[in-house]
Amino acid sequence: MTAHPVDRLLPHLRGELAAAERAAVDSHLAGCAECRDAMRDFAALAALVSRAPEPAPPMHWGAFRSQLHAKLERRHRPAGVGRRWSMGPLPAALAAGFAAVLLYLGVLGPGGTPPGGDQATLEGQVLAGRLEVVTQLDLVQDLDLLEDFDDIDGLDSPAPSRDS
Amino acid sequence: MEQSDEALCRSVANREPGAFDLLVERYQERAYRIAWSIVRDREDARDCAQEAFIKLHDAADSFAGQAKFSTWFYRILVNCCLDSRRRGRGWRRLLVWRDADDADRADDLVERQPAPPDDPGERMDEDQQMSRIWEAVETLSPQQRAAVTLQYREGLATKEIASVLNTSEATVRVHLHRAFAALRQRVGGAR
Repeated sequence: MTAHPVDRLLPHLRGELAAAERAAVDSHLAGCAECRDAMRDFAALAALVSRAPEPAPPMHWGAFRSQLHAKLERRHRPAGVGRRWSMGPLPAALAAGFAAVLLYLGVLGPGGTPPGGDQATLEGQVLAGRLEVVTQLDLVQDLDLLEDFDDIDGLDSPAPSRDS
Repeated sequence: MEQSDEALCRSVANREPGAFDLLVERYQERAYRIAWSIVRDREDARDCAQEAFIKLHDAADSFAGQAKFSTWFYRILVNCCLDSRRRGRGWRRLLVWRDADDADRADDLVERQPAPPDDPGERMDEDQQMSRIWEAVETLSPQQRAAVTLQYREGLATKEIASVLNTSEATVRVHLHRAFAALRQRVGGAR
């Protein structure tokens, strides 16, 4: 018996084989019950696959077309147009990290060293933050004076009697 | 008189208003169905079908008209689906495909198995078989599913499927035979 013409059974069923090939398969089928069984099962399965209800999940075709047009428009939009705020989460996180590094390098310098390179400059920066207190120094001094006045005013009061 | 697909494609190439929409409406369901049969995921199938339409829109002027429009478009579509598979969107589908690849290798074993026993008591009725047939189709490899869908749902000849899958007729015959051998093993025959 010739080798089973397994990959020609389906084309035979569909009538796709050339005459010589078809004759060879027919000749084999006449003497091979195994291939005849396979052929019969394949025919039944092909009918099932053709008729069985399509299991693909339903689709809203209006939404499908709208989305398609949106994609098409986006694809053909000139580069940069309308993309100002289209940064995704990962690029945004990278940009934020980069900005933080720049800030760190710009303010403290690498290794935590201030830009000026010495402690005096750092203290100067801290003091600059308290500049408002310094500019109002006269008023602060006056407040101290008012407190002194309270003390001075109390000097004329009679001392409490030790007997009472 | 209704314009042919080929004429519509030429109109798309000439950027005639409405031609693209008409072609999309004509093919959207088939495109989605074929894509779904390959990728087996609703969102991926929708994306693949849409991507195929975008490529059709952009490459309509390269359609020479020697092949049928449907064959040319299905080729774009199937390539989108197989590319999507290669990119491996998501671990879940990767696992499914891995299973399918395993099933592909198991086909050799399936072919060496004897035919299921001819026991009327074990036969399923047709309704049961219909409900199980697509479950069995899911276990096939993407190429096998594509070949089965294109042949038995879309009515393409083996030669056309070879053109769509960019392979030889002999390879398509092997895909189809292995697919049916696996289906026979899992669903049973019609004796």
